[in-house]
Amino acid sequence: MGYVAIKGGGKAIEGAAEALEALRAGGSGSDPLSLNAIEHQLRLLTSRIMSEGGLYHPQLAALAIKQMQGDTLEAGFALRAYRSTKPRLLETPPQDTGNMRLIRRISSAFKDIPGGQMLGPTHDYALRLMRFELAEESPEPFRRMASTFLKNAPEEALPDSFPKVLDSLRSEGLLPPKATNRNPAFDITRDPLIFPVSRSAALATMARAETGSMLAIAYSNMRGYGDIHPTVAELRVGYLPVMLPHPVTGELTEAGEVLMTECEVIAMYEPDESESAKGAAPEFTLGYGACFGHNETKAISMAILDRALQKGMRDGPENPSEDPEFVLMHIDGVDSMGFANHYKMPHYVTFQSDMDRLRSTREKYGERGETPQEESHES
Amino acid sequence: MNTHETEASWPPPRSQWLRYWSAAPAEKAETLAAEIAGHCDVRDITLPQSGLGLLKLPDSALNDLYFLGEVPVSHAHVEVIAPDGTRAEGGARLLDDRRSLARALAVLDATLAARLPHHEQALRLLETGRATLQETEASRNAILTSTRVDFSLLGDGSEDDDE
Repeated sequence: MGYVAIKGGGKAIEGAAEALEALRAGGSGSDPLSLNAIEHQLRLLTSRIMSEGGLYHPQLAALAIKQMQGDTLEAGFALRAYRSTKPRLLETPPQDTGNMRLIRRISSAFKDIPGGQMLGPTHDYALRLMRFELAEESPEPFRRMASTFLKNAPEEALPDSFPKVLDSLRSEGLLPPKATNRNPAFDITRDPLIFPVSRSAALATMARAETGSMLAIAYSNMRGYGDIHPTVAELRVGYLPVMLPHPVTGELTEAGEVLMTECEVIAMYEPDESESAKGAAPEFTLGYGACFGHNETKAISMAILDRALQKGMRDGPENPSEDPEFVLMHIDGVDSMGFANHYKMPHYVTFQSDMDRLRSTREKYGERGETPQEESHES
Repeated sequence: MNTHETEASWPPPRSQWLRYWSAAPAEKAETLAAEIAGHCDVRDITLPQSGLGLLKLPDSALNDLYFLGEVPVSHAHVEVIAPDGTRAEGGARLLDDRRSLARALAVLDATLAARLPHHEQALRLLETGRATLQETEASRNAILTSTRVDFSLLGDGSEDDDE
């Protein structure tokens, strides 16, 4: 059996694309969505697409959302496809997230953190009741909302960056010291993951992973398939100034800023029974999560998984969330969506083969007068 | 660093110029650069480029280096030669796709650094950018001040809500 050329598919595919666009327009005469509206009014969705696409580009993320009609996986895929067409010009020097210009900063470990806690823009304390007034929102009050907020805000100048909560715990010697001899960062866009992988590769993979996939595996750890029991030392959302060397002076110069979410979790200390740790005082352990945009669920999930993976890398995995291969190979949205959706593609030849095999097996059973048992079917 | 310099510290150091100009309307920067190019000779030292950069961070828990993802980057490096023969180099690296904007800001950078003709306009554009950045800072500050948590104990008279 071989492949059979068919005709007529081209027209059907063109028609499918036109039908998709027709449904986007809705036939209702409504105005097309502007990228500016998507970027700001659906800012959390835009954030998600940037982090899952692995590219900080709010305008293009908004375009991807529009083009893919809100399908987050397809929008992330489009952003990844775009980035693959662009040349790589540089690798930034390490950027210090301590310089983030914050809009939100909370800690569940201490109430009195240096600089204070600022809730920022959050749904955390909102009732999950529908606000029906938004269904028929008037443009004028909508446009005045930001200026009214600014006018009513307390007049007080706060610093735009704050010290890290972890620094105070570290100064008490309760945390492991920071690595001083750092390995180069692993580039997941150029090099494949070959296990065992470095923590750098794991962090980069999780930073552009699909939010729901990470949450699901992190949740398995929280529910009992693991024992991290994290406390959020600090969750911060803000704009990281990106410093690049000036082409003439070489001095680090701000080239722009990137909205990001960062989370550090503290997990209970564990006795380290290795030879090298004998006699050492016990310390808390840490997990770290970060991503482009404002996406707290992803950053917290990543921090929990980072801590779980550290344990798995050190002692061997006891739970799925501690297994680097299980976690890192199953959290990428583009990979997993692509594999799931490939099953929609024609499998006419392989399925014909399956049917032939089943028929011939049934014939053999028939010749022997036996009742055929149920056979497994794998594509 | 916030943008509330004192007048004595104005203009800001060169390391802040790109930030300020980037906040000003791009078309104004490009128009001014074109005007400068009308009077001066502008040569590319390297061809303007746009592409991507890998954003490298140390994780703040254990200090391992990793890449958060990629950012758009454009780059330009020019030489501006004034009618009197004065030469100045200017450069720009931006988190932006637009090569034309990077080149325009590189021209302004050279012009202001060497006080070439039209540098006063480049200076005024810095002020425009500063005003925009100050608005942004004010709105972010409003978010922080409006949502700062007061952990005073209930009943000590410092809270006026009715929880």
